[in-house]
Formats: sequence, structure tokens, C-alpha cells
Amino acid sequence: MEPDVGTGPRSITIQPSLDQNALDSLQFNEEIQHLMTVPPENANSFTALLELPAPQAMELLHHSPESNASAAQPYHFSGGANLTFPSNIALIERAARFSVFAAAADNNNNNSPETTGSVPSNSSGNLGKVKNEPAESDSNHDNPNSPQPSQNQKLMKRKEREKKAKATTKKTKSGANDSNEDAEKLPYVHVRARRGQATDSHSLAERARREKINARMKLLQELVPGCSKISGTALVLDEIINHVQSLQRQVEFLSMRLAAVNPRVDVNLESILAAESGSLMDSNYSSMVMPLMWPELQVSGNRQQFEQQWHLDAHHQPAWGREENQNFVTPENSLLSYDSSANSASFHTNHLKMEL
Amino acid sequence: MRAPISLKQKFLKKWISGLQLCSTCSKNMSILERKKSIKLSADIAMASARNGRTCWSLALIANASKNDKDKLLVEHILGNSEFQRLNKISIMRPTMSNKRVRCKKILKRSCGTIRRVSKRVVPPKILASCVAKRLSTKRTQVLKSLVPGGEFMDDVSLIEETLDYIMSLQTQIDIMRSLANATELVLSRKNEQW
Repeated sequence: MEPDVGTGPRSITIQPSLDQNALDSLQFNEEIQHLMTVPPENANSFTALLELPAPQAMELLHHSPESNASAAQPYHFSGGANLTFPSNIALIERAARFSVFAAAADNNNNNSPETTGSVPSNSSGNLGKVKNEPAESDSNHDNPNSPQPSQNQKLMKRKEREKKAKATTKKTKSGANDSNEDAEKLPYVHVRARRGQATDSHSLAERARREKINARMKLLQELVPGCSKISGTALVLDEIINHVQSLQRQVEFLSMRLAAVNPRVDVNLESILAAESGSLMDSNYSSMVMPLMWPELQVSGNRQQFEQQWHLDAHHQPAWGREENQNFVTPENSLLSYDSSANSASFHTNHLKMEL
Repeated sequence: MRAPISLKQKFLKKWISGLQLCSTCSKNMSILERKKSIKLSADIAMASARNGRTCWSLALIANASKNDKDKLLVEHILGNSEFQRLNKISIMRPTMSNKRVRCKKILKRSCGTIRRVSKRVVPPKILASCVAKRLSTKRTQVLKSLVPGGEFMDDVSLIEETLDYIMSLQTQIDIMRSLANATELVLSRKNEQW
């Protein structure tokens, strides 16, 4: 998966503007730690949510001890001239990986070309996890994390290679990102500041947070119909609120409908099973509910086909004249007990296939 | 965006089992009570289908369990062991996120006071951003009131929870609508017969 590899273990490098150098890194670290505390039981869900899948996070973890040892040296460098990196292989590797990404990012000057591109594909992908972290990567504002071991080391700024400095006309900033992936270790985030912008820790953190929020808002915009054209957070939030309210109202309305239809609260499955309605074949049901609940009403959209089935299942017909809640056929009863629901469903579908 | 099939199946199963419990509970209920119980079982079924991975589902279940009457329904739908597990999670979770939210609030407050002292004149650019910020905070408050358990979340997780919540609501609506259509059709045909 290219996006994953590209956005994978990104090395965070610092490229402070030429004027400013030192930062209040310790303060920044503390803030990051606050931002990143996660309850342990959520670690799994968050690893799923986050940019870095767990194996890649572990990889970073392994890299970091070496990188931290040599991190002290670059701190003394100043200026953007020929910088020599420590010859640590891990650093070079990560810098190389990051340069690949940075080069790609340089081609686009706007904020999130790749994000929007990757969002649809990702959102249509795993729906099991709703949040898609590769999409969430604010493409060229990349937020790599380098988790450190529990040693309390200061945030080290590393200067980029000369070629990267040349390549990026505008130094991009990558802020603190979900480092929740390492719930057990405290990740330290190295950020890059935009040229001419404040590099104090608070504004950096603020910016990082805002980018996170913006990425997720884009996902929301995709989900809510008619929202993608709107620009501006407040209006988008308005739309989202309206949508949630309308959905909740629909639930209320539908439950009222069901209450009105049923003389009792129970679901008259027998009658539904015996019903001959072609319009039951909603597209919703076509592939998933049918096998479970109403296997006789197969995926046909036509009435004709259904009539055929109806004639074939002749033993259901006498049930039509009966009362609603009588139990007639044992296979249908077994449907009601969900212990064997899967078995009975498969039995029914096979049965019907044979008949047809 | 359509939910995966397994989610719909899970929801439907749990909802139907909840409805059956409701029907055995009481014979004569007013329409409003019926509606409430239907809606409640649907909500709980949806929340339990998420399996405790999202904050809103835990909050919804926790709210439902406060009521003794509804607690039975919750237990029935969830199954006893899962109920215990989710209870444990839901107790721990809001406290954790509360801490995080509180820390952030303290931080923001401290930063805010420092910044406010230094500025005397407010340039229009910053004024506009203040206005925008106020608008968005108002709306996030509204959103927090809509999403169950939203008050405990910070902005980032609020948006994630909203995403998940919207998707689950849509699934729920799809299935409920199909069921409602089905039952109505059945009844109409039955009436035609006579």
C-alpha cells in the first residue's frame, strides 16, 4: 500500500527558520505528553485509528534509541549550510524516507491535495474503523513521530540535508500528531516551523491540533451529503449538526411507525416471512439481512420471481389465513432463536436454490 | 458510505431480541411507550454492535443502564458478560478523557492569560479569528449535546465520534425503515384479503 509506506515511519526533522534557533523544548514536551495520554484499554482502537500502524510504530521505537544517542550533536549546528548528519544509519534512513515524502509534497503547494485524494479511497475501504489514518495524514504537512524510550530526553532539532533545504522553498511544518499509537511510551515530536512563523511550542501545538481537526473534518464532509462544497468550519459544523438532528428525528419517526403498525411490540416474523411482498427486497436487504432473517425472500427484485418462490413454498400458504402469531413451521421458529440462526439460514437458502 | 454487512446483521439480531423481550414484558402499552421501547432497543442494539470501541456507544449504554427498567433490556441485549465488561470500561473512560480535557483546559487558560496581557490593540485580523473561534465553539457545544457522551470529549475525538455516530445512525435508520415497510405491507395485504 503505497500511501501507507509513504506516510509510514516518517522521521521528524526540524528545520527552524534561519533566524530562530532554540526552543523551549521541554515545555513543548510536557504539553505533548498531556495531549498524548491515552487510557490503556483504548490503545488497540487507537492504533487502528492512527497514522502509524502498530508494527511501524514499533519499528520507530527500535530506531529511536540509536537516533537519540547521536541527537545531541546536531543541536550545536547553526545555519543552513552544508550540514553533515551523524553517520547513524537509522537517521539517514529516516531522513531518506522523509525526503521522498517531502519531495512529493513539494509538488503541491496547497494544503491537502493528497489528503482529499486518499480520503475517498480510504473511506470506502475499511469501514470497520471509521477513521482512516492514511487519509488523515495532512499530506505535505507530515507528522511523523519518533517515539523514544522512557528516558527523558529533550526534544532535539535536527537540521535537514542541504538538498532538502533547497527543495523546500517553503519549509513545511509538521506538528504534533496522534502519538497515541505508543500508549506505553511517550513519543516526542519534532516539528518543523514555517518560515517566518512563530516557533514557540504553544503555537506549534495549536497548529498541530488544528491540522488534526481539519483532517477529520474533511472525513466528516465526505460523509455528510452536500457538505463538501462548503468551505469554512462553522458552516460545515452547521451542516453536520443538522444532519445528526435529522437522523435522530428519523429514528424517532420510524420507531413511532413501528409502534403504530404492531399491535404488540414484538416483530411478527412469521407474518413477514409468509408475506408476499416484492418490495421487501430493498437494496438494503439484498445481500446481508436476507441470509440471516428472511431467506425465503431471496435477492430477487421482481415480483414475478417472487411469485414463483411463493408457489414453490407451498407449505407456507396455509399460514396466510392464520393469525399472526401462530407458529407454523419449525424452520421458521428456529430463525427466531438466534442460536442457530446461521445454520437455519443456510439451510433455507440451499433449500430454495434447489427448488428453483 | 454504507456500513459493512456484519454490522447490519449484528444490529438486527440484537434489536429483534430486544423487541421480543419488550413484547413479553408488557401486554398493554400505550403507543408512546411502545415507541420508546422500540427506540430504546434499537439504540442499545446499535451501541452494542460497536462493541465498546466508541465513546458514544458506551455513554449511550451507561445512560440506559441508569434506569432500572431499562437495565434489564440492556442486559438482555448485551448478554451478561459483555455488560459487565462494558460497565468497567465506561466507568474508566470518562474519567480518563476528563483528565485530558482538564489538562488541556488548564493549559489553554494559562496561555490565554499570558497572551491577553501583552496585547493592547486588537488588530482586525485577530478579531476575525476570535469571532470565528467563538462561532465554532458554539457549534461544537451544540454537537456535544447531540452526540451521546459528547460532553466529555475534546474536539478531536468529538469529530471522530460524530463520524462513527452518523454512520451508525444511518445504518439503524436503513434497517428500521425496511422493517417498517415490511410490516406495513404485510398488514395492508392482510386487510386486502378480508
